[in-house]
Amino acid sequence: MSDELIPKVKQMIIESLRIEGMSPDEIETDAPLFGEGLGLDSIDALQLVVAMEKEFGVVVPDAATGSTVFASARSMAAYIAENRK
Amino acid sequence: MICWMFPGQPIAFSGAPYDDIEFSEITRICQESTGCNPLESGTSASNFSHNVRLQLLGTCVSLYRSKQLTKQGVGPDLIAEHSMGIYPALAASGSIDSATALELTCRIGVAMAKMGMQREYALGCVIGISCAPLEAIAANNGVHIANYNTSQHFLLAGERKNIDAALAEAGASGAFSATVFPCDAPLHTPLIAEIAGDVEHIVAEYSFRDPQIPLIEHIDQTTLTAATIPSFLLDELCRPVYWDTTYRALRSRGVTLFQEVGAGKALSKFNRWIDSET
Repeated sequence: MSDELIPKVKQMIIESLRIEGMSPDEIETDAPLFGEGLGLDSIDALQLVVAMEKEFGVVVPDAATGSTVFASARSMAAYIAENRK
Repeated sequence: MICWMFPGQPIAFSGAPYDDIEFSEITRICQESTGCNPLESGTSASNFSHNVRLQLLGTCVSLYRSKQLTKQGVGPDLIAEHSMGIYPALAASGSIDSATALELTCRIGVAMAKMGMQREYALGCVIGISCAPLEAIAANNGVHIANYNTSQHFLLAGERKNIDAALAEAGASGAFSATVFPCDAPLHTPLIAEIAGDVEHIVAEYSFRDPQIPLIEHIDQTTLTAATIPSFLLDELCRPVYWDTTYRALRSRGVTLFQEVGAGKALSKFNRWIDSET
């Protein structure tokens, strides 16, 4: 079920972080988003927190939770599937 | 209207940022004017603190990027700066040359490093909490807000033990993240008054021309002049960076394109956040 959310999650990442010149297909589903992958940082993390809450009604309460949730597009989709109302 | 934004010190070294003749030339000027190549870890580098080398690296990258953009025919209508980004910003505006920007970065960095020999200071990056509660937390713990970057992104500065306590309280109060970074001195706080005399002496040894491109400072968002630059160089070390206000002021002046001229993309990300709130 969470796999269906993956394209939407990728689109949300691109839009909320204003990543220019990248399509959702270019984000690897299991690649790390922080550090080596897309190179995101804590500023991006908070932007994603707000976007997830706005788009899916799902709250990421702190950075410790965020480090697991934002590990990859797949983990984000799984968290949304588990926690959305 | 184009604005070049010069960011402050990078957080960490990430290898040689550019592998070309132009960047080598900048690091050569750095070596000649300061005695330190920030990318080398040999004897000359050991005379400088980790943070001074990072500050020099930041200035080198900004000088390089501004030269590259100029070569491409992309010039700014306005220049803005954040924290230690003031020195390459002055160079890009035509107020001083590159060697002077590097010298000032180094000498003021070394003056700050002396503070770190007396006490242990730190910075605290706090994300996801608003200004009023964080100001209360800062006051409770005897630290200062050094950067007001957005409504939810702040940097605290002060003594290490106090920063640790403030970050713990910020975390307990709902901050999304609260991270400590070691530093030489509590930059952008009144505590810098301890070295104000040293900084004044350093700055007094240089002459500044009027910027050829308007340079907007990050405290009151005024346009710097040859007459106001020396006092600003001390003032900015003792007072916070108001990036949120600065970005909004630049927008209201008609800036439509912001280019980050330095290491990283922090300022662009702060701008993205501010835009998302308006």
